[in-house]
Amino acid sequence: MQRAIEEVGIPTVIIAALPPVVRQAGTPRAAAPIVPMGANAGAPNDIAMQTEIVKASLNLLEEIETPGKIVSLPFEYHAVI
Amino acid sequence: MSMTVVKGLQSEIFVPITPKSVWAPVTKPLSEMTVALATAAGVHRVDQERFNLAGDFTWRKIPNESTEAELMVTHGGYDNSDVNKDVNCMFPITRLKELAAAGFIKECAPFHAGFMGGGGNIEKFTNETGPQIAEMFKQEGVDAVLLTAG
Repeated sequence: MQRAIEEVGIPTVIIAALPPVVRQAGTPRAAAPIVPMGANAGAPNDIAMQTEIVKASLNLLEEIETPGKIVSLPFEYHAVI
Repeated sequence: MSMTVVKGLQSEIFVPITPKSVWAPVTKPLSEMTVALATAAGVHRVDQERFNLAGDFTWRKIPNESTEAELMVTHGGYDNSDVNKDVNCMFPITRLKELAAAGFIKECAPFHAGFMGGGGNIEKFTNETGPQIAEMFKQEGVDAVLLTAG
């Protein structure tokens, strides 16, 4: 999906809980906070964490200069299941 | 001692192939960008048809004015408990609206996209669903897309 959007000329960034998977799929830009599959943008109702993850991910649009780069983000949330 | 070379030798180990890079350059600062969300997390409006949990390559157009209460998730491929408590976990639409109001980005796109990733008909996703969503973003003048569920 990310690649299809890039192909029409729109830059993208994906928040990835599984960095090796997005690398294999050929992501152009990815953000990798330490999050589970069910909460890529941060813990439920944690507005501060969600805001920081979204901002840091969007910032990567300006920061990443080479295709395929995955940047770790310093946020951590573990779901209690 | 010379190297041993066997012509036509193939490894029996499956080696996945990473596709060639795609790259759309960023041409303006974030503060001038119209930003859309696209998620494979199975997000859709409550009044839209649910995804087929057995595999579904269709997608849902999600108006930006949708409230959190008007959104829900149909996806059998991950634990939905967090996203059911707060849809922003996978579809940070309220956070994006706040960032637009704060001037961090210029505005939210009028429509976002929800689909159900994690399998299904990959050929359809690649050749139909992906290009359809990309075309919608192009038509609505989107400058950048934030994806989740990677």
